[in-house]
Amino acid sequence: MVPAWFDAVFVSILNGAAIGCLLFILAVGLSLVFGMMDVLNLAHGAIFLAGAYIGWWVGGQSPTWAGFLVAIGIATLFGVVSGGALSAVTEPLRNRSHLDQALLTLGIALVLAELLALAFGSDVRSVGAPPGLNGAVTILGNAYPTYRLALIGVGVVLAVALWLLVSRTMVGAIIRGTVNDREMISAIGIDERKVKLAVFAVGSALAAVAGVLGGPIYGAAPGLDATVLILALVVVVIGGLGSVRGALVGALVIGQIESLGRALFADATSFILFGSLALVLVLRPRGLFAAPGVAAR
Amino acid sequence: MDSGSLISRRGILGMVGAAGAAAALSACGSSLGGGSAGGESGGGVKVGLLIPQAGVYTPLGVDMQRGWDLWLKQHGGKLGGMPVTTVVADEGESPQTGVPALQRLIQSDNVDVVVGIVSSSTALGVRDMVTESKKVLMVANAGANDITAAAASPYIWRTSFTNSQVAAAMGEYLAKENPQDSVFLIASDYAAGDEAMAGFKEAFEAGGGKIAGMAKPPFGETQDYQPFLAKIKSSGAKATFCFFAGSEAVTFVKQYRQFGLAKSVPLYGSGFLTEGGVLDAQGDAALGVQTSLHYTSELDNPANQAFRESYEKAYDAVPTVYSVQSWDAANTLDRALRESGSAEGDALSKALGQLGEIDDSPRGPWQFEGQTPKQAFYLRKVVEEDGTLVNSVVAETDPVGQTS
Repeated sequence: MVPAWFDAVFVSILNGAAIGCLLFILAVGLSLVFGMMDVLNLAHGAIFLAGAYIGWWVGGQSPTWAGFLVAIGIATLFGVVSGGALSAVTEPLRNRSHLDQALLTLGIALVLAELLALAFGSDVRSVGAPPGLNGAVTILGNAYPTYRLALIGVGVVLAVALWLLVSRTMVGAIIRGTVNDREMISAIGIDERKVKLAVFAVGSALAAVAGVLGGPIYGAAPGLDATVLILALVVVVIGGLGSVRGALVGALVIGQIESLGRALFADATSFILFGSLALVLVLRPRGLFAAPGVAAR
Repeated sequence: MDSGSLISRRGILGMVGAAGAAAALSACGSSLGGGSAGGESGGGVKVGLLIPQAGVYTPLGVDMQRGWDLWLKQHGGKLGGMPVTTVVADEGESPQTGVPALQRLIQSDNVDVVVGIVSSSTALGVRDMVTESKKVLMVANAGANDITAAAASPYIWRTSFTNSQVAAAMGEYLAKENPQDSVFLIASDYAAGDEAMAGFKEAFEAGGGKIAGMAKPPFGETQDYQPFLAKIKSSGAKATFCFFAGSEAVTFVKQYRQFGLAKSVPLYGSGFLTEGGVLDAQGDAALGVQTSLHYTSELDNPANQAFRESYEKAYDAVPTVYSVQSWDAANTLDRALRESGSAEGDALSKALGQLGEIDDSPRGPWQFEGQTPKQAFYLRKVVEEDGTLVNSVVAETDPVGQTS
């Protein structure tokens, strides 16, 4: 016999995992770009929002599978192009301080958010889940939206794929090499600017795709870009820069704080969120799983 | 290296230039609706329309401007027989933008009357400035109780509602319908949410109802309501009363349905939950949600039928409570100016106080009581009619004034 309170807590834990997976897809791009390419990209949240609007624009309020998948495709394309553009405009600031990069990318984020508001208006846009996932399943007597369960699956698959890519492939080796010793990578004939461009494109594509995937949960509305950017930054700081594993753990931790923390200590959630951030900064300033070499700078 | 930093500096300059140009453009935009910014024309009245043109409240600002413009268009551009010049200013999201905007309207644009204001903090923040300038401010949305209570000013009037008033109507109704049911209260954690919860609780408990629990999700940073929905479920409440607006209203109503509560624990709320654009975004998730408000486009009275018809013709949209509030602001100012003959603050305030019943408002008859409406409230239920969602009238309360 399971006690009644356990049902609610279990659903909250499950929900934390779903939110965590969404945060992972969002934050891993930021972590890769900042951790590996050493560029602080504050336009990440705006690209997420653009993805969310693409999801609404292509799929509408109750998208078909075709509409949903096309939206993911367009968002990927948008992410790659805007990531490339961001890589190009931040290239001249490569050797300047993070503050300069932050100012430039923040400016781009504001312009992009304003353009989105002009294009889509200031009304709240809501997006449904594709058919088959738009219902609810019963878990321990509680209804739970199917889409969120699917999100956990997508997050796990992406996490494994990215981890394999970075730690087990030649491409991953080149990326890690660029992080550790840029000159050496150049010396063996690899254009490190191309590496940066590629990482930027993939990172931004992940943000835009996260926007589409997050649509059925968060919708699309002005101001969402800032909210998710802050969450992503917290995830990256807690997990550690430039590490897929760190982003995953950070996202899952934040997901639980946002879900289980709110359920148990509703009034103290913001405190727990930023308190744990402060704790990590004091005890492990590089984050829980920082990639080796990142601290060298 | 050198050329790199040069390019970047030029790039930044270009961006700053572009941003400056954009700011200048939007500044032009904000006075476009206003026509001439010159001095007072002889015998005319100059009105400052202070509405959000940027930020999360923009949809409300659009509706308010439409209500205002429509009234003027229907009445030859005159208030109380005097030609009107409207100067539109952007209230933004908060007092940081709203207060300076009102200051500009009064000091630089030299308006005679100010109409509008969505945000309660802005309305409270401009109180002293308005009182000192001795010009009438007609609040056409902001609902904080204090605007016409603890922080009242002889020059500040209101054509909208108070947060407690809207919620109390629902509390009283529910206590009468289902006195034995316990209700869970949930509202965004800010002043308007607190006032709504307090207003509901007082009226509901006075009628013999019981509160099963309360929750206050942080305002503006809650995207996922699952933890709160779990609380509602485990509280054993038979119904939920909530106060949410804007994107939070959409998220909450959708998730309330997604997590299966809509079937077992009916959702009630202050009318903003399902008013205007948010209802379209909520879609079918809103079906069956019941709210209280002093207006719905479905009202079956001749004034509303005429209003709705001309509004739909002019804007190809269904009118909202926000457009009615600014329409009524024009209507009451027209009546008062007819009496006072001048827009001077003391004379106009005195005339407003003597208006008596406003009998041709789309919301039904109402009157000023303590400078804020004494009005009937409608219990509304979201239903689908000809493929669109509307707030249809279930019941109507007796007129009530400001209670707290």
